[in-house]
Amino acid sequence: MSRALFKLCNYTLCDNISPIFVRYGHHLRGKPPGIAKSLQEKLTELNYKDPQIHFKVDIGLPPPQISKTKFFEERMQTIRKNRKNPDMEKLSRTQQLQINMEETYADWLNTVGPYHIRQIAEHYGIFEHLFGDAYFHAFVPLKIAYENNDTLYPVYYGNTLKPDEAASKPVVEFENNDNSLYTLILTNPDGHLTDNEKEYIHWFVANIPGNTLDNGETIVEYLQPFPPKGTGYHRFVFVLYKQNKKLDFSQYKKQGKCLNLVDRTFSTLDFYRQLQDDITPASLSFFQADWTPSLKQFFHNELNMKEPIYEYDFPPPYIRKQEWFPKRRPFNLYMDKYRDPKQINKEFLLKKLKDIHPFKPPPKPLPYPNAQFIDSKVPSWLKTEIIKERMKWGRINEIE
Amino acid sequence: MQARNYFRVMTICNLRNFSSGVSSTANISNIFINRNPRNLEKLRIGYKPDGYHVDKPGKNYWHNLKLNISNQYITATINHFENGVVLKASTSEWCVKKQLYKTKDTSAFINLGRVLGYRCLQAGLTEISFDKDSVKQNGKVALFLKELEEAGIHLKEPRQYKPTYPWDQHRPEKPWEVTE
Repeated sequence: MSRALFKLCNYTLCDNISPIFVRYGHHLRGKPPGIAKSLQEKLTELNYKDPQIHFKVDIGLPPPQISKTKFFEERMQTIRKNRKNPDMEKLSRTQQLQINMEETYADWLNTVGPYHIRQIAEHYGIFEHLFGDAYFHAFVPLKIAYENNDTLYPVYYGNTLKPDEAASKPVVEFENNDNSLYTLILTNPDGHLTDNEKEYIHWFVANIPGNTLDNGETIVEYLQPFPPKGTGYHRFVFVLYKQNKKLDFSQYKKQGKCLNLVDRTFSTLDFYRQLQDDITPASLSFFQADWTPSLKQFFHNELNMKEPIYEYDFPPPYIRKQEWFPKRRPFNLYMDKYRDPKQINKEFLLKKLKDIHPFKPPPKPLPYPNAQFIDSKVPSWLKTEIIKERMKWGRINEIE
Repeated sequence: MQARNYFRVMTICNLRNFSSGVSSTANISNIFINRNPRNLEKLRIGYKPDGYHVDKPGKNYWHNLKLNISNQYITATINHFENGVVLKASTSEWCVKKQLYKTKDTSAFINLGRVLGYRCLQAGLTEISFDKDSVKQNGKVALFLKELEEAGIHLKEPRQYKPTYPWDQHRPEKPWEVTE
């Protein structure tokens, strides 16, 4: 401030000297705004993908063929009928018109549903992780529901279920009009314990005639979801494939319940690549599941292994290089950042243990911890540290 | 912006009086990667843009709801900050239009709220951000939002959990350690 005033005085006093404008401590870095690119522009440039190289391939069934004239005529008739319906008009006017959700859902599946399902499946990264650069539309309506204690837990497109609810195999129904054979596979692309590029296969039923799984050939038995503790929500994806002919899946066949996880390692992409001439993905359904306490027993008794527990690994904080003479920084806090945190914690612990008697119960916490006398000779930084200890603020929490 | 999705193994839990038939746990890798792109958002630790606090509409969301009212139809979309439109419902869709008397009256708003709520639940999107203050209290949009909430959708997203460092004053609760 004083320096600035001195400059100003100098300037006003010496009129005959042309003024020199100096802005101390101000630097314009890079190009000025308006000319320089914004973050948004930089990001779009960074994330640009050449459509010649990065494009997706449709590997699904063709959309069902409908006669357009017949279809529009039917729709117009329904609209005209609704418009002439006085009951409907009254219900609509009094805000009591309630559409039938079941019917809406069934119509949705037969009209725009498959396109919406693809959108949400792409949002969940299903195609990317199962089929790489391919996608498909679920033109065959697939109905899956788990039954547990007389309650139905349906599977849609990303709803969450608990592993207990999905303990036994679900009831699956789909439309099969032309008596072709189908294959149903349930995989988990998120749960592999050793190789994160691979999946675990939870269920594999092949050569399914008709529209239920009763007469299908079970290749791999059903295994319930088992997301380990701390790893969050896993996707469990049902994919229904339409077969051209009866196929031999003996190389995928697993005997018995197959509780060895190494045997359950699977890759949908490799599987599809091998059989792409004979199978076409026809439908898709998936749910998400996370850990529950009952899974501990499952790991111990069924999988016969110890239960792994994970925790999210946050990136370490950025601490800049230590300076010889840090200016305007509290010395104790500054030095603590460059010390071994274990040593700091040890000091806190030793201090705590000093006041604890091995055979007596610990003293009661003070009702007003800050109403305790601190000697006036104590320097202010140490006073702050004492207050922080009493209030349980900061590093003391590491040992509490 | 890619957040890293590593989960480091903390402990390998052992049952106290466990018999000797344990297959080796050495074949479990120390780092577990959950590829589910929505997982970190569900755990509240995924990246969420902040935007400027004066921005209107703000950018501070994972999923938000947008309502587009055209001359003839109403369209509601759920948008993700990176992926754009991920879910939509409109009165122009045949499955909805078929059972309505008019495609833009109050009943249409109410029924669209029900349909969108149903679809959001099916897609596992239960928390969606929306600025409710910008909506007129007794209007059609308020009825639409009411139906959405009745379906079980929270119109507010939780805040992103930021990691705590040793020098931080407080230790907020970790969302994944809270048992229901």
